[in-house]
Amino acid sequence: MHAALHDIRVTFGSLTAVDGVSIDIEAGGIHAIVGENGAGKSTLMNVLFGLVKPDAGRIEIDGEPRGWASPQEAIASGLGMVHQHFMLQDEMTVLENIVLCAEPISRFGFVDFSGARRKLAQGFSEHGIAIDLDAIVGQLAVGQRQVVEILKMLYRDARLLILDEPTAVLTPQEKDRLFAILRSFAAAGKSVVIITHKLDEVMEIADHVSVMRGGRLISSGLLGGTSKERIAREIIGGDLPPPLKPQPREPGAVVLSVANLTIASRAGHVGPLSFEVRAGEIVGIAGVSGNGQAELVQALTGLRKPAGGTILLAGRDVAALDVAGRRPARMSYIPEDRPRMGLALGATVAENANAGREDRAGFAAGPFLRRRAMADFARDLIRRYNIRVGGPAARASTMSGGNKQKLVVGRELTRATPLIVAENPTWGVDIGAIDFIHGELMRMRDAGHAVLLVSTELDEVMALSDRILVMFEGTIAGEVSGGEATRERLGSLMTSRTGARAA
Amino acid sequence: MKLGDGIFAREVVPWLAVVFWIAVVLFVLVELVSSDFGAAVQGFIQGAFGGRRLAYLMTTLSRAALITGMALSVMLSFRAGLFNIGGEGQLVAGGLVAALVAVLVPGPPLLILALSILAAMAAGAAWALLAGALQLYVGVPLLVGSLLLNYPIRYIASYLVAHPYRDVASGMVQSHLVPQATWLPYFPGTRLDIGILFIVVAAIFAVAYSHTTVHGYQSRMNGLSPDFARTVGLPVNRLALQTLAMSGAIAGLVGAIAVFGIHHRYIDGMLVQPLYAWTGIIAVLLVGMIPWLVPISGFFFAAIQTGAAGMERTAGVPKEIALVVQAVIILLVASRVSGALLSSSDRKAGGGGDA
Repeated sequence: MHAALHDIRVTFGSLTAVDGVSIDIEAGGIHAIVGENGAGKSTLMNVLFGLVKPDAGRIEIDGEPRGWASPQEAIASGLGMVHQHFMLQDEMTVLENIVLCAEPISRFGFVDFSGARRKLAQGFSEHGIAIDLDAIVGQLAVGQRQVVEILKMLYRDARLLILDEPTAVLTPQEKDRLFAILRSFAAAGKSVVIITHKLDEVMEIADHVSVMRGGRLISSGLLGGTSKERIAREIIGGDLPPPLKPQPREPGAVVLSVANLTIASRAGHVGPLSFEVRAGEIVGIAGVSGNGQAELVQALTGLRKPAGGTILLAGRDVAALDVAGRRPARMSYIPEDRPRMGLALGATVAENANAGREDRAGFAAGPFLRRRAMADFARDLIRRYNIRVGGPAARASTMSGGNKQKLVVGRELTRATPLIVAENPTWGVDIGAIDFIHGELMRMRDAGHAVLLVSTELDEVMALSDRILVMFEGTIAGEVSGGEATRERLGSLMTSRTGARAA
Repeated sequence: MKLGDGIFAREVVPWLAVVFWIAVVLFVLVELVSSDFGAAVQGFIQGAFGGRRLAYLMTTLSRAALITGMALSVMLSFRAGLFNIGGEGQLVAGGLVAALVAVLVPGPPLLILALSILAAMAAGAAWALLAGALQLYVGVPLLVGSLLLNYPIRYIASYLVAHPYRDVASGMVQSHLVPQATWLPYFPGTRLDIGILFIVVAAIFAVAYSHTTVHGYQSRMNGLSPDFARTVGLPVNRLALQTLAMSGAIAGLVGAIAVFGIHHRYIDGMLVQPLYAWTGIIAVLLVGMIPWLVPISGFFFAAIQTGAAGMERTAGVPKEIALVVQAVIILLVASRVSGALLSSSDRKAGGGGDA
């Protein structure tokens, strides 16, 4: 499918999100659209997909001018989109999610699930996908949910696929698998558009690349006609700061000590896990998502009761405490699931910024709120963490992904707790914000805080960690010091039990 | 004045359209039963706001007080994300306990009145907490638990006023009268009891609680996103139980006001049949749980009900048609209000999402 967007213009109130952009998406190719958050990439693709009505401009599909009244029409015409935040029904099974709104109807008016299974099995074997069709989506790891989203499009025979930040939650292996699928789509004549921040991936997979900044198209053309450095400059409109280099530093006292921790989980038993995190070091936990990291984080933060073992936080066993018992001044947590756990999107920035503070006097006088103090605190965070938002009274939902995350990071890090648990802290965040968040984590480390960085981004773990623990099937498969870590070494630990459990 | 014109076009014109459509539907319905349209409208307005010495307006206000009270009760729960639809049971618990305490406990009237009201609030709170405990400790969803708990209390109340505490001489299924000295007085020169003042206080409390207290703030965070509230370490279970207790206490208070202000005893079904609790829920949902709008919404619903009754009385519009009119008005206004609330929240969130 060949799609062309001509002079598309989208405004939200006084904000011009997309400003006269024309783009060609070729059949049988992979087209990367890159740019910072708020550059208008997602909005542009939402226009193509019928989610956003452009104020001006037109869409052509295979040379025919088209317009959609709704995404349903776009889907019926062979378009498919995987959004950054998945559009799945958590309570339903994988299969039910896949066929939802495109149910195969049997002769007697029932949903023909076995027919759907057959059709999917074919796609599975073609593309080497493995997923339990009867699993409840809400219990799947984020990486697996994405597979469900892609299967939805496969199932609907989409001829033009749009993926918004598809690799943000994937491990290298999962990413390779995804790219293989996308390449086979392209080879079959389908068009693929990926919206991404990651230049390495653009260089790896794209045939065409378009760069957007501030709602405008900066460049668009064949990948061969540009370079990584040039794309980076076009994205940020200047030169990137040099990458961070952690200064070697003697770690201090043990802040977090986990011993024989076991966690019961529906996906399988996790543990026993034993490790320590010391003051002034970043310990990275790498691994393919769904290998027990989520359970570990929940057990550490008090969101889930461990089945056994001890969690010593500054010498005190906190395994039996709930979140409210653990957080006060000793632990902060940057959750992976920003829209659900990190923020209350319907509340204001000030309300989000002040949630979970233990210095009650800072926002309350007796039973009453000090609204002004709350707003001042939020303004302070906005300034210090360079959050782009209307102000303390703006709703959290009005911020872009990167700014939302900066608010979460700001709220948690200003509490200056001895232990910081960061779970995929740069999930779906733009380059500028990633650098900023990494810098803040490093600053906390250098200031003597213990940081546990749980991330499925190998580059992130390798760039920041003093030590790296690799999780595989619920246990720690091995430990590598930050300096000696290579992608190959970590990659092999991520897929086999070569280390800890060998004995 | 350009801005003013814009507001006029945006806010006022749709309302005029709503009024127009209500008039059209009313006209058609009234023509169907071949009554006089003008008389029907006048009967409606008279029935809601008129009467000799504004007697009907007083009836409307009295009803509005009870509906608003129930609306405030559910608003506190709903804003905290607690789908407590057991207001009726909490209301009945309050009314029943208020009447029984006043009938059974001897003492100086003012003290008995105060004691009865407090006991009613405690009873309402306890009934709401029972639903909360069922959810937290037994795993019965609040929506189900609170709804189902409406029935046992209703029949417990029926039993108590039908057998042990029945005023047999009256021949009705009702308790004895509460001592006359405990009756809430009327405002001078009216037939409106001062129970509405309690509701005014409750409304001020609810608005202040929602906007200015730490507890209200934390409950709302929990209501907006329970996962978020848990993640930042808010005491979610405690918040839920305390909020339910507050809700239940206000419902219990409404029950006590109905006893001491209007019926002066507990009559079987007196709190259930007028659908105070359910009307309260609709009144809250209509204004999107915005606290200061709740009393206005409560008054609106009361006026519709008394107005429809007036239309029946004076214009000979059958009760059923009056009820249809009532439903149509609610439907049209509700769609307009929720539409306006939704679009304004969209505007505030404008340009949102991860662009």
